[in-house]
Amino acid sequence: MANSRAPSASICPAPVKPYAWTLLAVVLVTLIGKPISSLFDIANVTLLYLLPVLMAAVRWGRGPSLFASFLGVLAFDFFFVPPVFSFAVSDIKYIFTFAVFLLVGLVTGTMATRIRDELEKTKQREKRTFALYALSEKIASKADLGEILATFARTMAEAVDGQVSILAGEGDYVGELASYPASAGVGDEKQKAVVRWVLEHGQGAGRGTDILREASELIFPIKADKKTVAALCVNLGPERRPLPMEKRQLIEAFANLAAVAIIRLRLAEEAEQVQRLAESEKLHKALLDSISHDLRTPLASITGAVTSLLAEGGSYDQEAKGILLDTIKEGAFRLNHFVANLLDMARLQSGSLKLRAEWHDIQDIVGVALREIHDVVEGHPVLVNIGPDLPLVKADFGLIEHVLINLLENAAKYAPGGSEIVVSARPVESMMLISVADRGPVIPADEGEHIFDKFYRVQRSKSISGSGLGLSICRGIVEAHGGMIWVDSPLERGNRFTFSLPLARQGQSETAGEGLEGI
Amino acid sequence: MAEGARILVIDDDHQIRRMLRVALSGYGYSLSEAATGKEGLNEATLFHPDLVILDLGLPDLDGMEVINRLREWTQVPIIVLSVRERETDKINGLDAGADDYLTKPFSMGELLARIRVAIRHVAGNADEPVLTFPDLIVDLARRLVLLKGEELKLTPTEYEILKALALHAGRVVTHRQLLRVVWGPNFQEETHYLRVYIGQLRRKIEEDPARPRYILTEAGVGYRFTSGE
Repeated sequence: MANSRAPSASICPAPVKPYAWTLLAVVLVTLIGKPISSLFDIANVTLLYLLPVLMAAVRWGRGPSLFASFLGVLAFDFFFVPPVFSFAVSDIKYIFTFAVFLLVGLVTGTMATRIRDELEKTKQREKRTFALYALSEKIASKADLGEILATFARTMAEAVDGQVSILAGEGDYVGELASYPASAGVGDEKQKAVVRWVLEHGQGAGRGTDILREASELIFPIKADKKTVAALCVNLGPERRPLPMEKRQLIEAFANLAAVAIIRLRLAEEAEQVQRLAESEKLHKALLDSISHDLRTPLASITGAVTSLLAEGGSYDQEAKGILLDTIKEGAFRLNHFVANLLDMARLQSGSLKLRAEWHDIQDIVGVALREIHDVVEGHPVLVNIGPDLPLVKADFGLIEHVLINLLENAAKYAPGGSEIVVSARPVESMMLISVADRGPVIPADEGEHIFDKFYRVQRSKSISGSGLGLSICRGIVEAHGGMIWVDSPLERGNRFTFSLPLARQGQSETAGEGLEGI
Repeated sequence: MAEGARILVIDDDHQIRRMLRVALSGYGYSLSEAATGKEGLNEATLFHPDLVILDLGLPDLDGMEVINRLREWTQVPIIVLSVRERETDKINGLDAGADDYLTKPFSMGELLARIRVAIRHVAGNADEPVLTFPDLIVDLARRLVLLKGEELKLTPTEYEILKALALHAGRVVTHRQLLRVVWGPNFQEETHYLRVYIGQLRRKIEEDPARPRYILTEAGVGYRFTSGE
């Protein structure tokens, strides 16, 4: 109860006014009571004087109610008790009336004051609960920490009627996470020192606490998982009065809520991470299966050929040796190609694929890809259908070369031996369309959209060795360039894989070249 | 031709060194090996190699550092070995003074060809006024280019590019080097000029520009003029 008086004291902003009103009320009662007092026994008039006492107690608390009691007694004595208009008392029984009146006034005043205080506290509590509830609802509906803290600072500043900032620090540095109003922010060096202390010790400091009480702010730790993650800094204005318990509790409640918000976000992040891990685990499994297959197949042929040569080196004729050596060379090429694909995919996956996009002649890239894959497409006549004077494309040479190599390799792998492969490029609007067409078995339309998915293999083709990685890498690379890749089957003969790349804007490349002719 | 030439191999991988030792010794070269950059720099002063094969991924020194330190005192040809992931290193190495590069894995045929070209270049066939390739003759004295005996009409820029490449036949020429030679030091980054002109040049001298015979593109690095065999 000791502290219940504190708020009532702080709620009377100008203590003179209530006493003036009380005086007025007593005067009023006297004016009303005087004319009618002749009709009753004057002892009843004392009951009238209880009215200002009650009113003062309910409205302004104990002080004014006591004042009303004494004033009531004096007025009663002066105006009603004979001799009238004198403080002298003729009858001793009135002394007893005064005493009882004072006692009744005191008791009703105290009780009314207590009720008033309770009411006040309930109102405060309701306001506080509502503010906290509103805030927790806002927190639950937002996913971004910065946004939550900004809402938090605003709501709290309104609820406690002060300036609020949320600060975090590392070493000597103290930075602002959110504040309201915006000017609150990080204060002077003195404030920073207090914030550092709070962050370090995980205890409240500043105004109204045992530590650094002369500071103008109150600084509370925001703890998540027993670690102090930030400091809540509240400035309630220049007043130096001790901080009311109610407000302090409110601020603590807010600090807890902030901690809850931070923990909630962390948990959400963790849950997301776990999900991502599970997904990548699934992917890893498929990847491992595919890797072990694609690595072991060429390794098996290399090992077989090498061990044959080592064991029976002398007895093979030149032709047999040549075949074995070619097997080794081919196996090594396939391994190298597969490793390149794996690396591309790992980089696409991790998001660390950096495009070294420059202006290139698409014919140049096609030429290099053809040279690179020469051995693999052997046996397929490759027709290159690229007109002169095509605009340059903005692309990463090595990566687009990989796309072409993967497409050409697929064409050579799935199309019947000796069938033609056509590589063509043509500009359409702002894009260059590059396509690789083969005469292989047409990919069923319902599988057409899946073949670019990771590890997807066309049902019929399962007998042909492959990882299902190549096309997904192609898509990753092309999309990283801002293009698209798709497959169609013109005239139902073979498959045509097409991808698009952004073109040089008119005049960006050609005119630059012509302008140099004179140099 | 280059029989008996001395080659220093600087590579931290034991297997690669052994393979190179066996293979290159078989072609008559004498080999010396170093597993680290410091060892390599030391060996270069003792062994006096005619050519250095340098792996860029060394455990102690950066490959660039090795090139720079070698170039402080010797013009010995350097062939850089690298993996695809270190493309920028490769280009920097070439611009810093390495003569050629090979991406691991490489074929022995390619390496031997690079070695021959690099050593021959040092032996010097400069001042030769007429560069002759199968079906293609570049007459530097008369600024004349003959393709299958017929004179080609080239713009001045095209001619300069062809000349710069043909003078380094067999060796890679980086974009920067080419831009510097043809356009001057202020245009070293304008690689798209090159793409346009190389495309034009190819259409004039190559039978199938998509499958060039003379001017090969070294992805991300530059161009290599081959004799067209």
